[in-house]
Amino acid sequence: MKKSTLVLRIVVLTYVAALIALPLGFVFDRALAHGLSAFIRALRDPAMDDAMLLTLKVVLIAVPLNVLFGVGVSLWIVRHPSRFTKILDVLIDVPLAISPIIVGLILELAYAQSGWFGAAFARWGWHVMFSLPAIVLASVFVSLPLVSRQVIPLLREVGTHQEQTAQSLGAGPVRVFFTITMRSITWATAYGVSLTMARVIGEYGAVLIVSGNIALLTQTLTLNIGANFENFNNYQGFVGASLLSLASLVLLTFLSIARYRERKRHDYLV
Amino acid sequence: MSRVLRRVTPVIPIGAKSLAVTYISVVVLIPLAALVTNAFRGGLGQFWHNVTTLESIDALKLTLLSAFLGAAVNTVMGLATAWVLVRDRFKGQGLLNTLIDLPFALPTVVAGVTFYTLYGPLSPLHVNITGTWIGITVAIMFVTLPFTVRSVQPVLESLTFSAEAAAATLGASPFRVFRTVTMPALLPAVLTGTGLAFARALGEYGSVVFISNNLPYRSEISSSYIYSLASSNQNVAAASVAIALLILALGALVTFNLVGQVLGRRSR
Repeated sequence: MKKSTLVLRIVVLTYVAALIALPLGFVFDRALAHGLSAFIRALRDPAMDDAMLLTLKVVLIAVPLNVLFGVGVSLWIVRHPSRFTKILDVLIDVPLAISPIIVGLILELAYAQSGWFGAAFARWGWHVMFSLPAIVLASVFVSLPLVSRQVIPLLREVGTHQEQTAQSLGAGPVRVFFTITMRSITWATAYGVSLTMARVIGEYGAVLIVSGNIALLTQTLTLNIGANFENFNNYQGFVGASLLSLASLVLLTFLSIARYRERKRHDYLV
Repeated sequence: MSRVLRRVTPVIPIGAKSLAVTYISVVVLIPLAALVTNAFRGGLGQFWHNVTTLESIDALKLTLLSAFLGAAVNTVMGLATAWVLVRDRFKGQGLLNTLIDLPFALPTVVAGVTFYTLYGPLSPLHVNITGTWIGITVAIMFVTLPFTVRSVQPVLESLTFSAEAAAATLGASPFRVFRTVTMPALLPAVLTGTGLAFARALGEYGSVVFISNNLPYRSEISSSYIYSLASSNQNVAAASVAIALLILALGALVTFNLVGQVLGRRSR
């Protein structure tokens, strides 16, 4: 083997190990620093458990919303293109370029009581800010394009030949959608769903502003970790961090399975 | 063609379309409109004043510097990593490929507190880089690595060896082959990755906020500055700085894309 190849390999492996693997290992090292029984005791921290439950709730609401929107809007953009869908296509990607702190700020400007709609909403007894709806709104914002970005290019690539064949053989539109269209975008959608989940679970800056960050009420798990560090409760913080790291490892596995299956589907067709 | 398509794909009912438009309006458009009106509430002069206060300028400088350094390091390391993933073969390569995506999946706050503990005042490695541009840059390097790798990797995969082989048989050294044949083909993708990394770095918060210590004029990045303005009810000033940061991020994305396209066209 050539020497330059080996040198490059070692440089890259060292860089990735130091930058990514070391911090990941360090999280688990710290979480288990006082032994397994201390770790299990720390898992029963009421503020953290509450935060975990809230994060779970947000995932269960925000992810289905964005998946439904992402798949629907992709079908609209690809299959019924118009001047309007071109604007839509650009608009969906906008959240990716916006800092999470700015996301939090603009949601507050629009929906806080002092903001545009807050006063009107408050009159109906509806408080968006510093509650679950605000956290869902922030989560939906930051993860908005993650499904459609996976699905749009794939829908363009597969075209409509199979659908036309199915239709000419007598399948109705609903049957065509579920047996042909949905089947070709399943793994791309799964990839997008995993990315969306990761983003929703991990969101910090935007949720920090819109939630009010109140322990036992509006604190998600990421906020709880941050708060533990600010209160010099580092060990509890690392226990929370280890749970989120575990979740992200599971999601990473999903991502690589989805990527593998999508590639296989692609190779099979070509 | 389009008439055929319309027949095949179930027509999307007008109700679903208006639901989608309402959704994107509530989530993205109305808040963005609120941002613009708030930023210019006091007129253009006030906007400019808010953006150019000493604290704001210092924060913007630090943000730009660390984003530039992080993106620059990862432009080189992203290319190197993509190269190793595509052109090299060794055991554990799949693990490396998966690990690259970790910064996408790991919550930024987890990265933030981990870097703070690893390289902070109680560092087990006895390195304290909190409150410095180095610490901020390290956090940004972590967050942006997948952008540069994943931009280059697919292009490198689709590149055929024939042109490189031709250059080599004509007597070009490996380095010359890389510089004159491989690199020009990769350049647009490399620059797209740099642009994505830079834009992401400008807005990064969770992974940076712990290691930076947020000292105004010294180690405060723009996102932290916007947060401190917003939490002290200075919404107009916060909106102004936010607009400035947004323009920088979007400008970087567009510029890097255009430069990449122009260079790519010239090389062909």
